[in-house]
Amino acid sequence: MIQYMIKRIVIGVLSLFVLVGITFFLTRAIPGSPFESSNVSGEVLEMMENEYGLNDPVIVQYGTYLLHVIQGDFGYSYENPSQSVTSIIAEFLPVTIMTGGLALLLAIVTGVSFGIWMVVSKQKIIQRALFSGTILGTGIPNFVLALVLIFVFGVKFHWLPVAGGSEWESYILPVCSLAIYPASVICRMTAHLYKEEMKKEYVVLAKAKGMQWERIVWKHVLRHIWLPLFNYLGSAAAFLLTGSFAIESIFTIPGLGSQFVHAISNRDYTLIMGLTIFMGTVVISIQVLVDLLGAWIDPKIRRSYEGQ
Amino acid sequence: MKRKHYLIWACVLLIVLSVMISSWKISSRKEENLSGEEAVVVGIGSETGGLDPAGNIALTYLTYSVTALDELLTYNESGEIEYRAADSYEVNEDFTEWTFHLRKDGRWSDGSFVTAKDFLNTIQRALDPKSGSGYANYLFPIKNAEEIYMGEQDMETLGVSVEDDYTIHFSLEEPCVYFLKLLRLPVYTPSNSVYATEVGNGWDKNPDTSLSNGPYYLEEYIPEQYFTLKKNPYYWNQEQVKTETIVFRFFSDQQSLQSAYETGEVDIATGLPSSSAELYAGEPDLVLTNSIATRYIYPNLSVEPLDDVRVRKAINLAIDREALCKMVGQEAEPTVNFIAKYMVNSSTGQYYSEETEPLFEENVEEARRLLAEAGYPNGEGFPELVYKYPSLELDTDTAQVIQEQLKQNLNISIQLQPQELQTNYSDRRAGDFDLCRMNWTADFADPYTYLSMLLSNGTYNCSGINDPVYDKLVEASSRELDAQKRTTLIHEAEKWAVGEQFYIIPLFSVKTCNLVNPDIENLHTIPATGALEYRYMERKE
Repeated sequence: MIQYMIKRIVIGVLSLFVLVGITFFLTRAIPGSPFESSNVSGEVLEMMENEYGLNDPVIVQYGTYLLHVIQGDFGYSYENPSQSVTSIIAEFLPVTIMTGGLALLLAIVTGVSFGIWMVVSKQKIIQRALFSGTILGTGIPNFVLALVLIFVFGVKFHWLPVAGGSEWESYILPVCSLAIYPASVICRMTAHLYKEEMKKEYVVLAKAKGMQWERIVWKHVLRHIWLPLFNYLGSAAAFLLTGSFAIESIFTIPGLGSQFVHAISNRDYTLIMGLTIFMGTVVISIQVLVDLLGAWIDPKIRRSYEGQ
Repeated sequence: MKRKHYLIWACVLLIVLSVMISSWKISSRKEENLSGEEAVVVGIGSETGGLDPAGNIALTYLTYSVTALDELLTYNESGEIEYRAADSYEVNEDFTEWTFHLRKDGRWSDGSFVTAKDFLNTIQRALDPKSGSGYANYLFPIKNAEEIYMGEQDMETLGVSVEDDYTIHFSLEEPCVYFLKLLRLPVYTPSNSVYATEVGNGWDKNPDTSLSNGPYYLEEYIPEQYFTLKKNPYYWNQEQVKTETIVFRFFSDQQSLQSAYETGEVDIATGLPSSSAELYAGEPDLVLTNSIATRYIYPNLSVEPLDDVRVRKAINLAIDREALCKMVGQEAEPTVNFIAKYMVNSSTGQYYSEETEPLFEENVEEARRLLAEAGYPNGEGFPELVYKYPSLELDTDTAQVIQEQLKQNLNISIQLQPQELQTNYSDRRAGDFDLCRMNWTADFADPYTYLSMLLSNGTYNCSGINDPVYDKLVEASSRELDAQKRTTLIHEAEKWAVGEQFYIIPLFSVKTCNLVNPDIENLHTIPATGALEYRYMERKE
């Protein structure tokens, strides 16, 4: 097990390095400059690039950058020279974690309960409605849904604010728009797993023994459903906790996703790199964590690795 | 099994906890400020750049500075001088030595007096390439400024001197008749020499150190969300300032901004798409402002057959600008001028574009004849040219209409190549194009901002123009001290470049679509750029 852990972590760190390298050379390969704005003159632009070492060979820039990163220095944003990259990440991370985390919770709660309801319900109409709901939920992109929600709840009925993150109400619509997709996936997975699980012998036995349905579901079935769901939750968490550009810009939420896209269009090299490293670390750690937890929870997986 | 069950609950608990901590962090750093009684909320584009006039700045600064800072002097909507931080100036006969006298009652928002050193402070800091200031080249008319920027001279040789606390003197390299027009640019505005000591130390967005010398001061700055300006209690011209608090909120999505206007979350929504103008047509909320900008196409003179003036003329004459603007939306207005359609000539009070006959007239027959004369009868043998433009909605629509018009009128094919904005800038700068879209928003209210672009050594001359006749005309216009003679020279230069040599393909001038709560009055526009000016606005009782 320990050997497996070390292997997974080493692979994780290596992939991070590859990611940093590729991103660095790609940012330098795309045309443009962090100082390019619509009205800046050529000679001024060149002087500034010289001053910031942007005219050195790319490999030299890469070496310097890696040296700094290893010392924990991610540099300053070109666009906002008064802010270090780490302070920008620290500033925008809480908002992203909050919207992403809330969306994840909402997705789990609604997904699992609707999933079970879909199977349990004896009314065809509910089953069909829920099933079509999940198809729409996975089929409609979240930004389209966001616009529909804004139109209905903001513009038409004036129930909820549509912009900014200054009060708690303004998080309702973005969290819902983010949660719909993972909720639909979880709903369908739960329904499928639940159906399979209910056919198993121990459930039949429990029913035969006269155990209450609620008790069977709560005490036995649900914990079996959790395990396969866990794998999906890992990728959903990685997706939600790194911020969604579309949702953030539609609702003007100051999160990491929109920072990332702005950094790319402004060629804010240091910020692009800082965010890549940060998000890469988040995604890779979640994956490693899910793998390790999966191995720890499920003896079958663990044994298969130990047998190698 | 039980253990595993706990583990999953622990994970869920972890998510709940992190959400709670984040929301606590977010709510603790925000003191409710958006719904103050008198506050007017203005929705603007997304946050770009800092607030240091000597640093890397963009639209956010320009919105802040026109509301919060006083430049030495400016021009009002009728083209007259409006004194702000200065109360008088003197200039020698050949327009090379300028002296400005600061008003004695000009004060910073902490109560200290504004001195000439504060103006010098910005200039000196901007002349360091490390500052990242894209406006530094507008200091180059000052003696030795360019050499200092390039590292060839010491700061002591700079042609700016502070004679006493209230007098600042500029010595210029050569006569510059439009020098007063430059004074509204960021690099000529003051920054407090006590706090604003360094570009990039964060003084500019910190309300404790970001002082202002104008009607409003910075009270709060929340990155990517909003900033709040409060009335400056030490401002010399208090009576004119009617609104206590202005909140500027950032929106990266225009559609969201329009929704926020509809829900009443903002009182003024700026820079909306043309669809908003159609939706609000005829309503009192809709305010269309003229941007002092021209959108045009650069034909690359080193690419065959665009080196032939007949071909350039043919393309120019074959485009139906009226039809084009009808197709692309309300914000476009046809123009055949290079100098922005709504730039006012301060010596006559008229628009430059209306002072003369049109530079040329569209004529498809004539265009066909010219193309045949150049060796391409009915477009035969004409190579497929590539048109590069940013993949923005307006430019994409424009490109498609032009492609269609040229096919119909001249039977020539244009290949469209939409590009990401920065990629388009850098291809344009490198001269790597056949046809390239260009947009120029005036930096200051003088035609020189346009004419200088096409000079042989002009930094925006991306299409390889090298024309001594034009250079001579523009140089003469920038030295001519007599206003009337200067106007004539300006028109001659423009006529030569656009109406004779067809170095550019002018298309349209752009209107900005804004939605303004009808209760808000006294909203002006800035003559130099056409942007809204909020400093004197007032909400009706």
